[in-house]
Amino acid sequence: MLSLIGHFFAQTAPDEFLDGLSAIGAGIGYGAAAIGPGIGIGIVVGNAITAMARQPESAGMVRTTMFLGIAFTEALALIGFVVFILIKFA
Amino acid sequence: MSLITAVVRFAQEAPAHAEEAKSNPILPAWNEVIWGAISFTILFVLIAKYAYPAVKKGIDARADKIRSSLDEAERTRDEANTILEDYRRQLADAKNESARIIEEARQSADKLRQDLKKQAEAEVAEIKSRAQEDIAAQVERAMGDLRARVADMTIELTEKVVQRNLDRETNLALIERFIDEAGSAA
Amino acid sequence: MTPVLGALHFPPIEELVEWPGIFLKDTPFEVNKVVLLMWAGAIIVFGLFWAAGRAASSGNLVPTGIQTVVEGGIDFVRNDIILQTMGPAGLPWTPFLVTIFFYVFITNIFEVIPFVQFPVNARMALPLFMSLLVWVIFNYMGVKAQGFGGYFKSMLLPPGVPKALLPLVALIEFISTIFVRPFSMAVRLFANMLAGHLLLVTFAVLSAALFTKSALAVILPLPFAMLILLTGFEILVAILQAFIFTILTAVYIGGAMHPEH
Repeated sequence: MLSLIGHFFAQTAPDEFLDGLSAIGAGIGYGAAAIGPGIGIGIVVGNAITAMARQPESAGMVRTTMFLGIAFTEALALIGFVVFILIKFA
Repeated sequence: MSLITAVVRFAQEAPAHAEEAKSNPILPAWNEVIWGAISFTILFVLIAKYAYPAVKKGIDARADKIRSSLDEAERTRDEANTILEDYRRQLADAKNESARIIEEARQSADKLRQDLKKQAEAEVAEIKSRAQEDIAAQVERAMGDLRARVADMTIELTEKVVQRNLDRETNLALIERFIDEAGSAA
Repeated sequence: MTPVLGALHFPPIEELVEWPGIFLKDTPFEVNKVVLLMWAGAIIVFGLFWAAGRAASSGNLVPTGIQTVVEGGIDFVRNDIILQTMGPAGLPWTPFLVTIFFYVFITNIFEVIPFVQFPVNARMALPLFMSLLVWVIFNYMGVKAQGFGGYFKSMLLPPGVPKALLPLVALIEFISTIFVRPFSMAVRLFANMLAGHLLLVTFAVLSAALFTKSALAVILPLPFAMLILLTGFEILVAILQAFIFTILTAVYIGGAMHPEH
Protein backbone atom coordinates (compact mmCIF):
# COMPACT_ATOMS: atom_id res chain seq x y z
CA MET A 1 0.00 0.00 0.00
CA LEU A 2 2.63 2.46 1.11
CA SER A 3 4.87 1.47 -1.75
CA LEU A 4 1.97 2.00 -4.13
CA ILE A 5 1.53 5.58 -2.97
CA GLY A 6 5.28 6.06 -3.16
CA HIS A 7 5.20 4.77 -6.70
CA PHE A 8 2.45 7.27 -7.57
CA PHE A 9 4.47 10.10 -6.05
CA ALA A 10 7.53 9.13 -7.99
CA GLN A 11 5.65 9.26 -11.25
CA THR A 12 4.18 12.72 -10.65
CA ALA A 13 6.14 15.88 -11.34
CA PRO A 14 7.05 17.50 -7.98
CA ASP A 15 5.72 20.99 -8.87
CA GLU A 16 2.42 19.69 -10.05
CA PHE A 17 2.01 17.62 -6.94
CA LEU A 18 2.83 20.55 -4.67
CA ASP A 19 0.32 22.72 -6.51
CA GLY A 20 -2.33 20.09 -6.06
CA LEU A 21 -1.64 19.75 -2.35
CA SER A 22 -1.63 23.49 -1.80
CA ALA A 23 -4.95 23.85 -3.63
CA ILE A 24 -6.48 21.19 -1.41
CA GLY A 25 -5.01 22.80 1.68
CA ALA A 26 -6.19 26.25 0.66
CA GLY A 27 -9.71 25.08 0.00
CA ILE A 28 -10.03 23.10 3.21
CA GLY A 29 -8.35 25.90 5.17
CA TYR A 30 -10.70 28.59 3.97
CA GLY A 31 -13.73 26.36 4.42
CA ALA A 32 -12.72 25.60 8.00
CA ALA A 33 -11.93 29.24 8.69
CA ALA A 34 -15.41 30.26 7.56
CA ILE A 35 -17.26 27.92 9.95
CA GLY A 36 -16.53 29.73 13.21
CA PRO A 37 -17.18 33.28 12.01
CA GLY A 38 -20.35 32.13 10.27
CA ILE A 39 -21.76 30.79 13.52
CA GLY A 40 -20.38 33.76 15.43
CA ILE A 41 -21.95 36.37 13.18
CA GLY A 42 -25.22 34.49 13.39
CA ILE A 43 -25.11 34.66 17.19
CA VAL A 44 -24.15 38.34 17.17
CA VAL A 45 -26.91 39.40 14.78
CA GLY A 46 -29.50 37.16 16.39
CA ASN A 47 -28.88 38.59 19.82
CA ALA A 48 -28.80 42.10 18.41
CA ILE A 49 -32.24 41.53 16.88
CA THR A 50 -33.53 40.18 20.20
CA ALA A 51 -32.18 43.26 21.96
CA MET A 52 -33.70 45.60 19.38
CA ALA A 53 -37.06 43.87 19.60
CA ARG A 54 -36.99 44.06 23.38
CA GLN A 55 -35.90 47.68 23.53
CA PRO A 56 -36.57 49.43 20.22
CA GLU A 57 -35.58 52.79 21.73
CA SER A 58 -31.94 51.67 22.05
CA ALA A 59 -31.83 50.23 18.51
CA GLY A 60 -29.24 52.79 17.33
CA MET A 61 -26.71 51.86 19.98
CA VAL A 62 -27.33 48.15 19.52
CA ARG A 63 -26.82 48.49 15.76
CA THR A 64 -23.49 50.26 16.19
CA THR A 65 -22.28 47.66 18.65
CA MET A 66 -23.59 44.89 16.40
CA PHE A 67 -21.50 46.14 13.48
CA LEU A 68 -18.46 46.30 15.74
CA GLY A 69 -19.07 42.74 16.86
CA ILE A 70 -19.55 41.57 13.28
CA ALA A 71 -16.33 43.30 12.28
CA PHE A 72 -14.34 41.58 15.01
CA THR A 73 -15.88 38.19 14.30
CA GLU A 74 -15.55 38.53 10.56
CA ALA A 75 -11.82 39.22 10.85
CA LEU A 76 -11.15 35.52 11.38
CA ALA A 77 -12.89 34.54 8.16
CA LEU A 78 -11.04 37.26 6.30
CA ILE A 79 -7.71 36.10 7.67
CA GLY A 80 -8.69 32.66 6.42
CA PHE A 81 -9.40 34.17 3.02
CA VAL A 82 -6.01 35.89 2.99
CA VAL A 83 -4.30 32.66 3.91
CA PHE A 84 -6.21 30.99 1.06
CA ILE A 85 -4.91 33.58 -1.38
CA LEU A 86 -1.41 33.24 0.05
CA ILE A 87 -1.36 29.48 -0.34
CA LYS A 88 -3.04 29.43 -3.71
CA PHE A 89 -1.37 32.32 -5.52
CA ALA A 90 1.72 33.41 -3.66
CA MET B 1 10.92 5.21 -3.59
CA SER B 2 9.12 5.62 -0.34
CA LEU B 3 6.73 8.30 0.78
CA ILE B 4 9.29 9.83 3.15
CA THR B 5 11.89 10.43 0.52
CA ALA B 6 9.31 11.87 -1.83
CA VAL B 7 8.15 14.36 0.79
CA VAL B 8 11.73 15.26 1.59
CA ARG B 9 12.36 15.91 -2.06
CA PHE B 10 9.36 18.27 -2.29
CA ALA B 11 10.51 20.01 0.84
CA GLN B 12 13.90 20.59 -0.66
CA GLU B 13 12.41 22.00 -3.80
CA ALA B 14 9.88 24.19 -2.08
CA PRO B 15 12.22 27.18 -1.40
CA ALA B 16 13.15 27.38 -5.05
CA HIS B 17 9.44 27.45 -5.89
CA ALA B 18 8.76 30.25 -3.42
CA GLU B 19 11.54 32.38 -4.84
CA GLU B 20 10.03 32.11 -8.27
CA ALA B 21 6.88 33.96 -7.15
CA LYS B 22 8.17 37.47 -7.45
CA SER B 23 4.97 39.39 -6.81
CA ASN B 24 2.52 38.58 -4.06
CA PRO B 25 -1.09 39.81 -4.20
CA ILE B 26 -1.17 40.16 -0.43
CA LEU B 27 1.93 42.20 0.21
CA PRO B 28 1.72 45.93 -0.48
CA ALA B 29 3.62 47.41 -3.40
CA TRP B 30 5.89 50.16 -2.17
CA ASN B 31 5.02 52.67 -4.82
CA GLU B 32 1.34 52.29 -3.90
CA VAL B 33 2.06 52.69 -0.19
CA ILE B 34 4.06 55.85 -0.86
CA TRP B 35 1.44 57.37 -3.12
CA GLY B 36 -1.38 56.31 -0.81
CA ALA B 37 0.34 57.96 2.14
CA ILE B 38 0.93 61.14 0.14
CA SER B 39 -2.66 61.24 -1.17
CA PHE B 40 -4.22 60.61 2.22
CA THR B 41 -1.98 63.08 4.03
CA ILE B 42 -2.55 65.86 1.51
CA LEU B 43 -6.28 65.18 1.50
CA PHE B 44 -6.46 65.21 5.30
CA VAL B 45 -4.49 68.46 5.56
CA LEU B 46 -6.63 70.16 2.92
CA ILE B 47 -9.87 69.01 4.48
CA ALA B 48 -8.89 69.75 8.08
CA LYS B 49 -7.48 73.17 7.17
CA TYR B 50 -9.87 74.49 4.51
CA ALA B 51 -12.84 72.38 3.54
CA TYR B 52 -14.10 71.07 6.89
CA PRO B 53 -14.14 74.46 8.66
CA ALA B 54 -16.13 75.95 5.77
CA VAL B 55 -18.71 73.17 5.88
CA LYS B 56 -18.79 73.30 9.69
CA LYS B 57 -19.32 77.05 9.54
CA GLY B 58 -22.27 76.52 7.23
CA ILE B 59 -23.75 73.88 9.54
CA ASP B 60 -23.22 76.05 12.61
CA ALA B 61 -24.69 79.08 10.85
CA ARG B 62 -27.73 77.05 9.97
CA ALA B 63 -28.01 75.73 13.51
CA ASP B 64 -27.76 79.28 14.85
CA LYS B 65 -30.31 80.48 12.36
CA ILE B 66 -32.74 77.73 13.27
CA ARG B 67 -32.17 78.26 16.97
CA SER B 68 -32.69 82.01 16.71
CA SER B 69 -35.75 81.49 14.53
CA LEU B 70 -37.17 79.12 17.11
CA ASP B 71 -36.43 81.58 19.92
CA GLU B 72 -38.01 84.35 17.88
CA ALA B 73 -41.07 82.21 17.24
CA GLU B 74 -41.32 81.37 20.93
CA ARG B 75 -41.04 85.01 21.88
CA THR B 76 -43.65 86.04 19.31
CA ARG B 77 -45.99 83.35 20.55
CA ASP B 78 -45.61 84.48 24.15
CA GLU B 79 -46.27 88.03 23.08
CA ALA B 80 -49.34 87.00 21.12
CA ASN B 81 -50.55 85.04 24.12
CA THR B 82 -50.28 88.03 26.44
CA ILE B 83 -52.04 90.22 23.90
CA LEU B 84 -54.76 87.65 23.50
CA GLU B 85 -55.12 87.42 27.26
CA ASP B 86 -55.39 91.20 27.38
CA TYR B 87 -58.05 91.25 24.71
CA ARG B 88 -59.95 88.51 26.45
CA ARG B 89 -59.92 90.46 29.67
CA GLN B 90 -61.04 93.61 27.90
CA LEU B 91 -63.79 91.72 26.17
CA ALA B 92 -64.98 90.28 29.49
CA ASP B 93 -64.90 93.78 31.00
CA ALA B 94 -66.90 95.18 28.13
CA LYS B 95 -69.44 92.40 28.48
CA ASN B 96 -69.85 93.08 32.16
CA GLU B 97 -70.17 96.79 31.48
CA SER B 98 -72.84 96.33 28.84
CA ALA B 99 -74.76 93.96 31.12
CA ARG B 100 -74.61 96.54 33.84
CA ILE B 101 -75.83 99.27 31.49
CA ILE B 102 -78.70 97.15 30.25
CA GLU B 103 -79.68 96.32 33.82
CA GLU B 104 -79.62 99.98 34.74
CA ALA B 105 -81.71 100.90 31.72
CA ARG B 106 -84.20 98.25 32.55
CA GLN B 107 -84.45 99.44 36.11
CA SER B 108 -84.93 103.05 35.11
CA ALA B 109 -87.49 102.05 32.50
CA ASP B 110 -89.37 100.08 35.14
CA LYS B 111 -89.30 103.02 37.46
CA LEU B 112 -90.51 105.31 34.73
CA ARG B 113 -93.33 102.97 33.90
CA GLN B 114 -94.35 102.69 37.52
CA ASP B 115 -94.34 106.46 37.85
CA LEU B 116 -96.32 106.98 34.70
CA LYS B 117 -98.81 104.38 35.76
CA LYS B 118 -99.25 105.94 39.15
CA GLN B 119 -99.65 109.37 37.62
CA ALA B 120 -102.17 108.14 35.08
CA GLU B 121 -104.17 106.38 37.77
CA ALA B 122 -104.19 109.53 39.86
CA GLU B 123 -105.37 111.56 36.87
CA VAL B 124 -108.04 109.06 36.05
CA ALA B 125 -109.28 109.15 39.62
CA GLU B 126 -109.33 112.92 39.59
CA ILE B 127 -111.20 113.10 36.31
CA LYS B 128 -113.67 110.55 37.55
CA SER B 129 -114.33 112.38 40.77
CA ARG B 130 -114.68 115.67 38.95
CA ALA B 131 -117.13 114.13 36.51
CA GLN B 132 -119.13 112.69 39.35
CA GLU B 133 -119.20 116.07 40.99
CA ASP B 134 -120.29 117.65 37.71
CA ILE B 135 -122.99 115.10 37.23
CA ALA B 136 -124.19 115.57 40.77
CA ALA B 137 -124.29 119.34 40.27
CA GLN B 138 -126.16 118.99 36.97
CA VAL B 139 -128.62 116.60 38.54
CA GLU B 140 -129.12 119.01 41.37
CA ARG B 141 -129.71 121.91 39.02
CA ALA B 142 -131.97 119.85 36.74
CA MET B 143 -133.99 118.71 39.73
CA GLY B 144 -134.35 122.32 40.86
CA ASP B 145 -135.43 123.43 37.39
CA LEU B 146 -137.84 120.53 37.12
CA ARG B 147 -139.31 121.25 40.47
CA ALA B 148 -139.84 124.92 39.59
CA ARG B 149 -141.28 124.00 36.24
CA VAL B 150 -143.64 121.36 37.63
CA ALA B 151 -144.86 123.86 40.17
CA ASP B 152 -145.46 126.44 37.44
CA MET B 153 -147.22 123.94 35.24
CA THR B 154 -149.33 122.67 38.12
CA ILE B 155 -150.45 126.22 38.79
CA GLU B 156 -151.16 126.80 35.11
CA LEU B 157 -153.00 123.50 34.79
CA THR B 158 -154.97 124.19 37.80
CA GLU B 159 -155.99 127.55 36.30
CA LYS B 160 -157.05 125.92 33.07
CA VAL B 161 -158.94 123.13 34.83
CA VAL B 162 -160.71 125.66 36.84
CA GLN B 163 -161.62 127.83 33.75
CA ARG B 164 -163.06 125.09 31.56
CA ASN B 165 -164.47 122.41 33.72
CA LEU B 166 -167.39 121.47 31.42
CA ASP B 167 -167.92 118.02 29.95
CA ARG B 168 -166.03 114.95 29.33
CA GLU B 169 -165.16 115.82 25.82
CA THR B 170 -163.89 119.13 26.85
CA ASN B 171 -161.91 117.55 29.70
CA LEU B 172 -160.28 115.05 27.37
CA ALA B 173 -159.50 117.67 24.83
CA LEU B 174 -158.18 119.76 27.62
CA ILE B 175 -155.95 117.00 28.91
CA GLU B 176 -154.72 116.24 25.46
CA ARG B 177 -153.97 119.86 24.85
CA PHE B 178 -152.23 119.95 28.16
CA ILE B 179 -150.17 116.97 27.32
CA ASP B 180 -149.37 118.43 23.94
CA GLU B 181 -148.42 121.65 25.55
CA ALA B 182 -146.40 119.83 28.13
CA GLY B 183 -144.72 117.84 25.33
CA SER B 184 -143.97 120.88 23.28
CA ALA B 185 -142.90 122.75 26.38
CA ALA B 186 -140.58 120.03 27.50
CA MET C 1 -21.30 22.61 -19.27
CA THR C 2 -17.87 21.19 -19.70
CA PRO C 3 -17.13 22.72 -23.11
CA VAL C 4 -18.12 26.14 -21.81
CA LEU C 5 -15.93 25.84 -18.78
CA GLY C 6 -13.22 24.39 -20.95
CA ALA C 7 -13.26 27.56 -23.07
CA LEU C 8 -13.48 29.74 -19.99
CA HIS C 9 -10.29 31.58 -19.29
CA PHE C 10 -10.25 32.69 -15.71
CA PRO C 11 -7.46 35.21 -15.30
CA PRO C 12 -4.88 34.53 -12.58
CA ILE C 13 -5.13 36.80 -9.61
CA GLU C 14 -1.92 38.68 -10.41
CA GLU C 15 -3.54 39.82 -13.61
CA LEU C 16 -6.57 41.13 -11.67
CA VAL C 17 -4.94 43.19 -8.99
CA GLU C 18 -1.46 44.09 -10.21
CA TRP C 19 -1.28 46.87 -12.73
CA PRO C 20 1.64 47.80 -14.94
CA GLY C 21 3.31 51.15 -14.39
CA ILE C 22 2.21 53.98 -16.62
CA PHE C 23 5.02 56.44 -15.98
CA LEU C 24 7.93 56.89 -13.56
CA LYS C 25 8.52 53.20 -14.17
CA ASP C 26 10.95 51.23 -12.01
CA THR C 27 11.25 53.98 -9.42
CA PRO C 28 9.71 53.98 -5.93
CA PHE C 29 7.21 56.50 -7.31
CA GLU C 30 5.93 54.35 -10.15
CA VAL C 31 2.42 55.39 -11.14
CA ASN C 32 -0.12 52.76 -12.14
CA LYS C 33 -3.89 52.52 -12.20
CA VAL C 34 -4.10 52.09 -8.43
CA VAL C 35 -2.09 55.27 -7.84
CA LEU C 36 -4.21 57.17 -10.35
CA LEU C 37 -7.31 56.01 -8.49
CA MET C 38 -5.80 57.14 -5.19
CA TRP C 39 -5.30 60.59 -6.69
CA ALA C 40 -8.79 60.56 -8.17
CA GLY C 41 -10.27 59.57 -4.82
CA ALA C 42 -8.46 62.38 -3.03
CA ILE C 43 -9.50 64.89 -5.68
CA ILE C 44 -13.13 63.74 -5.60
CA VAL C 45 -13.34 63.87 -1.81
CA PHE C 46 -11.74 67.28 -1.67
CA GLY C 47 -13.93 68.47 -4.54
CA LEU C 48 -17.06 67.35 -2.68
CA PHE C 49 -15.99 69.15 0.48
CA TRP C 50 -14.88 72.23 -1.42
CA ALA C 51 -18.21 72.47 -3.25
CA ALA C 52 -20.15 71.90 -0.04
CA GLY C 53 -18.06 74.47 1.82
CA ARG C 54 -18.52 77.05 -0.92
CA ALA C 55 -22.28 76.42 -0.99
CA ALA C 56 -22.43 76.70 2.78
CA SER C 57 -20.38 79.88 3.02
CA SER C 58 -22.40 81.54 0.24
CA GLY C 59 -25.28 81.69 2.69
CA ASN C 60 -27.11 78.71 1.27
CA LEU C 61 -28.82 77.72 4.48
CA VAL C 62 -31.02 75.03 3.00
CA PRO C 63 -28.61 72.33 1.79
CA THR C 64 -29.02 70.94 -1.71
CA GLY C 65 -27.16 68.39 -3.83
CA ILE C 66 -23.54 67.84 -2.84
CA GLN C 67 -23.99 69.88 0.32
CA THR C 68 -26.61 67.40 1.52
CA VAL C 69 -24.30 64.45 0.88
CA VAL C 70 -21.30 65.97 2.63
CA GLU C 71 -23.27 67.33 5.56
CA GLY C 72 -25.13 64.04 5.89
CA GLY C 73 -21.78 62.22 6.00
CA ILE C 74 -20.40 64.61 8.61
CA ASP C 75 -23.57 64.28 10.68
CA PHE C 76 -23.38 60.51 10.43
CA VAL C 77 -19.73 60.40 11.53
CA ARG C 78 -20.48 62.82 14.36
CA ASN C 79 -23.69 61.37 15.74
CA ASP C 80 -23.47 57.68 14.90
CA ILE C 81 -19.74 57.09 15.26
CA ILE C 82 -18.02 59.64 17.48
CA LEU C 83 -20.77 60.35 19.99
CA GLN C 84 -21.62 56.65 20.29
CA THR C 85 -18.08 55.43 20.86
CA MET C 86 -15.89 58.32 22.05
CA GLY C 87 -18.40 60.67 23.61
CA PRO C 88 -18.22 64.45 23.30
CA ALA C 89 -14.46 64.36 24.03
CA GLY C 90 -13.94 62.84 20.59
CA LEU C 91 -15.48 65.70 18.65
CA PRO C 92 -12.07 67.31 17.79
CA TRP C 93 -11.36 64.13 15.83
CA THR C 94 -14.26 64.78 13.47
CA PRO C 95 -12.15 66.08 10.52
CA PHE C 96 -9.81 63.08 10.71
CA LEU C 97 -12.62 60.53 10.91
CA VAL C 98 -14.63 62.28 8.22
CA THR C 99 -11.59 62.20 5.94
CA ILE C 100 -11.12 58.48 6.60
CA PHE C 101 -14.80 57.75 6.06
CA PHE C 102 -15.10 59.60 2.77
CA TYR C 103 -11.72 58.53 1.39
CA VAL C 104 -12.30 54.86 2.16
CA PHE C 105 -15.82 55.05 0.78
CA ILE C 106 -14.81 56.73 -2.48
CA THR C 107 -11.87 54.41 -3.06
CA ASN C 108 -14.14 51.44 -2.31
CA ILE C 109 -16.97 52.54 -4.57
CA PHE C 110 -14.58 52.61 -7.57
CA GLU C 111 -15.25 48.87 -7.54
CA VAL C 112 -18.63 49.30 -9.19
CA ILE C 113 -18.04 52.48 -11.22
CA PRO C 114 -18.17 51.46 -14.92
CA PHE C 115 -14.82 51.47 -16.76
CA VAL C 116 -12.96 51.98 -13.47
CA GLN C 117 -14.10 48.85 -11.66
CA PHE C 118 -11.21 48.46 -9.31
CA PRO C 119 -11.32 49.09 -5.58
CA VAL C 120 -8.11 50.74 -4.47
CA ASN C 121 -8.43 48.93 -1.16
CA ALA C 122 -8.15 45.55 -2.89
CA ARG C 123 -4.46 46.40 -2.77
CA MET C 124 -2.85 46.23 0.65
CA ALA C 125 -1.17 49.63 0.35
CA LEU C 126 -3.83 52.09 1.46
CA PRO C 127 -5.40 49.96 4.22
CA LEU C 128 -1.95 49.21 5.58
CA PHE C 129 -0.93 52.86 5.63
CA MET C 130 -4.18 53.99 7.25
CA SER C 131 -4.19 51.28 9.89
CA LEU C 132 -0.55 52.01 10.78
CA LEU C 133 -1.43 55.69 11.01
CA VAL C 134 -4.31 54.84 13.34
CA TRP C 135 -1.98 52.58 15.34
CA VAL C 136 0.52 55.41 15.80
CA ILE C 137 -2.26 57.84 16.73
CA PHE C 138 -4.01 55.68 19.29
CA ASN C 139 -0.77 54.68 21.00
CA TYR C 140 0.34 58.31 21.06
CA MET C 141 -3.01 59.43 22.45
CA GLY C 142 -2.93 56.69 25.08
CA VAL C 143 0.55 57.67 26.27
CA LYS C 144 -0.41 61.33 26.17
CA ALA C 145 -3.65 60.87 28.11
CA GLN C 146 -2.49 58.35 30.75
CA GLY C 147 1.30 58.53 30.74
CA PHE C 148 3.55 55.73 29.52
CA GLY C 149 3.15 53.48 32.58
CA GLY C 150 -0.54 54.19 33.03
CA TYR C 151 -1.30 53.45 29.39
CA PHE C 152 0.43 50.08 29.42
CA LYS C 153 -1.01 49.26 32.82
CA SER C 154 -4.57 49.91 31.66
CA MET C 155 -3.88 48.07 28.40
CA LEU C 156 -2.26 44.98 29.88
CA LEU C 157 -4.03 44.57 33.22
CA PRO C 158 -7.79 44.71 32.82
CA PRO C 159 -9.60 44.91 36.18
CA GLY C 160 -11.36 41.89 37.65
CA VAL C 161 -8.94 39.21 36.40
CA PRO C 162 -7.69 36.53 38.86
CA LYS C 163 -4.05 37.02 39.82
CA ALA C 164 -2.99 33.61 38.53
CA LEU C 165 -4.19 34.42 35.04
CA LEU C 166 -2.65 37.89 34.88
CA PRO C 167 0.57 37.01 33.00
CA LEU C 168 -1.37 35.15 30.35
CA VAL C 169 -3.99 37.89 30.04
CA ALA C 170 -1.28 40.55 29.84
CA LEU C 171 0.48 38.67 27.07
CA ILE C 172 -2.75 38.19 25.12
CA GLU C 173 -3.77 41.82 25.58
CA PHE C 174 -0.36 43.05 24.49
CA ILE C 175 -0.38 40.96 21.32
CA SER C 176 -3.96 41.80 20.52
CA THR C 177 -3.54 45.54 21.03
CA ILE C 178 -0.11 46.09 19.54
CA PHE C 179 0.01 43.53 16.73
CA VAL C 180 -3.42 42.17 15.92
CA ARG C 181 -5.29 45.50 15.90
CA PRO C 182 -3.51 47.18 12.98
CA PHE C 183 -3.15 43.90 11.14
CA SER C 184 -6.81 42.91 11.45
CA MET C 185 -7.96 46.43 10.63
CA ALA C 186 -5.93 46.51 7.40
CA VAL C 187 -6.78 42.93 6.48
CA ARG C 188 -10.49 43.46 7.13
CA LEU C 189 -10.77 46.26 4.63
CA PHE C 190 -8.34 44.74 2.13
CA ALA C 191 -9.79 41.23 2.17
CA ASN C 192 -13.39 42.43 1.95
CA MET C 193 -12.67 44.50 -1.11
CA LEU C 194 -10.46 41.87 -2.74
CA ALA C 195 -13.09 39.17 -2.16
CA GLY C 196 -15.79 41.43 -3.59
CA HIS C 197 -13.65 42.21 -6.60
CA LEU C 198 -12.94 38.53 -7.22
CA LEU C 199 -16.65 37.71 -6.94
CA LEU C 200 -17.57 40.38 -9.47
CA VAL C 201 -14.79 39.25 -11.81
CA THR C 202 -15.90 35.62 -11.53
CA PHE C 203 -19.48 36.34 -12.50
CA ALA C 204 -18.50 38.88 -15.14
CA VAL C 205 -16.15 36.36 -16.78
CA LEU C 206 -18.86 33.72 -16.63
CA SER C 207 -21.47 36.03 -18.15
CA ALA C 208 -19.07 37.12 -20.89
CA ALA C 209 -18.19 33.52 -21.72
CA LEU C 210 -21.86 32.56 -21.90
CA PHE C 211 -22.60 35.48 -24.24
CA THR C 212 -20.30 33.89 -26.82
CA LYS C 213 -22.05 30.51 -26.53
CA SER C 214 -25.51 31.20 -27.86
CA ALA C 215 -26.58 27.59 -27.43
CA LEU C 216 -26.27 27.93 -23.69
CA ALA C 217 -27.97 31.28 -23.43
CA VAL C 218 -30.66 29.57 -21.41
CA ILE C 219 -28.53 29.65 -18.29
CA LEU C 220 -27.13 33.09 -19.07
CA PRO C 221 -29.67 34.92 -16.88
CA LEU C 222 -28.39 33.11 -13.82
CA PRO C 223 -24.80 34.41 -13.69
CA PHE C 224 -25.90 37.76 -15.11
CA ALA C 225 -28.56 38.20 -12.42
CA MET C 226 -25.97 37.19 -9.84
CA LEU C 227 -23.64 39.82 -11.27
CA ILE C 228 -26.29 42.52 -10.88
CA LEU C 229 -27.18 41.35 -7.37
CA LEU C 230 -23.54 41.25 -6.35
CA THR C 231 -22.97 44.74 -7.73
CA GLY C 232 -25.69 46.00 -5.40
CA PHE C 233 -24.21 43.95 -2.58
CA GLU C 234 -20.75 45.42 -3.21
CA ILE C 235 -22.16 48.94 -2.98
CA LEU C 236 -23.47 47.97 0.46
CA VAL C 237 -20.10 46.45 1.35
CA ALA C 238 -18.28 49.61 0.23
CA ILE C 239 -20.39 51.73 2.58
CA LEU C 240 -20.23 49.19 5.40
CA GLN C 241 -16.46 48.81 5.25
CA ALA C 242 -15.96 52.57 5.26
CA PHE C 243 -18.25 52.72 8.30
CA ILE C 244 -16.45 49.87 10.07
CA PHE C 245 -12.99 51.25 9.38
CA THR C 246 -14.07 54.64 10.73
CA ILE C 247 -15.81 53.26 13.79
CA LEU C 248 -12.82 51.04 14.65
CA THR C 249 -10.56 54.07 14.40
CA ALA C 250 -12.91 55.93 16.74
CA VAL C 251 -13.11 53.01 19.17
CA TYR C 252 -9.32 52.55 19.32
CA ILE C 253 -8.56 56.23 19.79
CA GLY C 254 -11.41 56.66 22.27
CA GLY C 255 -10.36 53.55 24.20
CA ALA C 256 -6.80 54.80 24.48
CA MET C 257 -8.02 58.17 25.77
CA HIS C 258 -10.55 56.75 28.25
CA PRO C 259 -9.36 53.38 29.57
CA GLU C 260 -12.49 52.68 31.60
CA HIS C 261 -14.26 51.30 28.56
